[in-house]
Amino acid sequence: MVSNMAGRRALKAVLIDLSGTVHVEDAAVPGAQDALNKLRQASIAVKFVTNTTKESKRELLERLQRLNFDLQDKEIFTSLSAARSLLEQKQHRPLLLLEDSALEDFTGIDTSEPNAVVIGLAPDHFNYQTLNKAFRMVLDGAPLIAIHKARYYKRKDGLALGPGPFVTGLEYATDCKATVVGKPEKTFFTQALSDLGCSPSEAVMIGDDARDDVGGAQNAGMLGILVRTGKYREGDENKINPPPHLICDSFSHAVEHILKNLL
Amino acid sequence: MADASWIGCAKSLKGVVLDMCGVLYDSGEGDGVVIPGSVEAVKRLRASDLKLRFCTNETQATREKFVDKLQRLGFDISVPEVFSPPPAVVAVLKERSLRPHLLVYDGVLPEFDFVDKTNPNCVVIGDAAENFSYQNMNEAFRVLIGLEKPVLFSLGQGKYYKETDGLKLDVGVYMKALEYACDLKAEVIGKPSPVFFQSVLNDMGLQPYEALMIGDDLVNDVGGAQHCGMKGVQVRTGKYRLSDESHPTVTADGTVDNLAQAVDMILNQRGH
Repeated sequence: MVSNMAGRRALKAVLIDLSGTVHVEDAAVPGAQDALNKLRQASIAVKFVTNTTKESKRELLERLQRLNFDLQDKEIFTSLSAARSLLEQKQHRPLLLLEDSALEDFTGIDTSEPNAVVIGLAPDHFNYQTLNKAFRMVLDGAPLIAIHKARYYKRKDGLALGPGPFVTGLEYATDCKATVVGKPEKTFFTQALSDLGCSPSEAVMIGDDARDDVGGAQNAGMLGILVRTGKYREGDENKINPPPHLICDSFSHAVEHILKNLL
Repeated sequence: MADASWIGCAKSLKGVVLDMCGVLYDSGEGDGVVIPGSVEAVKRLRASDLKLRFCTNETQATREKFVDKLQRLGFDISVPEVFSPPPAVVAVLKERSLRPHLLVYDGVLPEFDFVDKTNPNCVVIGDAAENFSYQNMNEAFRVLIGLEKPVLFSLGQGKYYKETDGLKLDVGVYMKALEYACDLKAEVIGKPSPVFFQSVLNDMGLQPYEALMIGDDLVNDVGGAQHCGMKGVQVRTGKYRLSDESHPTVTADGTVDNLAQAVDMILNQRGH
């Protein structure tokens, strides 16, 4: 175990990754529900943070509740939520290139006469006509907002292109850089903390992705704890510099460490 | 008023290379629309002592069909004067014994009639327009990701072009998408590849400094020609945008309103 180099700090919030950290597909990581309950008994804010481009908050919440996790809608912050807050903050009216299931997270956002492009994983929208429309808007100055830039993902029938290639193509066409809103972007973490009234130095992130969870959080000024579940592979901790604050076997070990050493 | 400092080279000029779409005509419904003055300008160049070639990254039709269209629009052009990427890539495929998976526009498929396409070991993408669907992109991606040494040929690397109903994404955008997805670098066949410009110069029997390229694409026409040692002039037609005149890496030797004005200036300078 890596020692607690940072020393004691007044911890106010814990950010927790979902897939691979508290559950893997439709099974909870053993002990995760109890660990969450213990965390709630300490006076500390909790938020669940995840990169998704097609699952709405409601769908994520329903899955977690089925697995007996005790949490509320407002405790979930996703890359879609991050896109939404950016739109609200800048008062953009977006063209949403997202799958239908993701659209409910944008309920109430004005999409008339769009002046911004939001792009996630949306095979139905990645046709020539729609991409041309998005391209012309961005060329005319509309900001390009990417939920994330994954290259490809695994589908039942094999590998399939993610949003990243299409974002990259639009960036090339328009000579502009997309604003990426999901993990590991710094703004993702600061936005997740914004309504908790605490600064990054008062928060810790727990996740199974060394780069996106731990590296991203630490880059934003938080502590990062890497768990050896989910997508974790031996040596992942060496992918980031500085290394994780701590590496734990699972979420419940991470919670024990927090309760014992960080409060 | 056009900047005229480039015109000093007109006297020693021996050949002119013209881009086609955005210089001669704007593409769109049917045959597209002639850019005013261009038919006359080509006629006047032809009547001069300058050699004339056409160099296009057009990959939606065979050269024969493409030249037919330009003739219908009134241009005096013949097939051997036109240089386009499909015949160039076919030659490369043959030379390297490669069997392509094609992601191209239906109209250009006949150029690949005699190419072995079974069990593909490379991907060729052209300006496929509506054929750039998610599904077709995925198929090209899967061919590449399944190869031990993936090879991607891109017929040009243009960002966009202008049709009568607006700007349209060009092949370069999809090339970049596949490059990013597969972590590879495509081989570009066509403008701005120096090999492509050199083949045009060879055909004219000229040195680069004896030839001038006129195009609407700052990076691919003007920059590509300059990279090869030719002079490059941009027209303010087609995909031209005001921001081209303050581009960070490419500065045209001259910028003119249209082809007619460029030809006027060249021929006046030469005392025609």
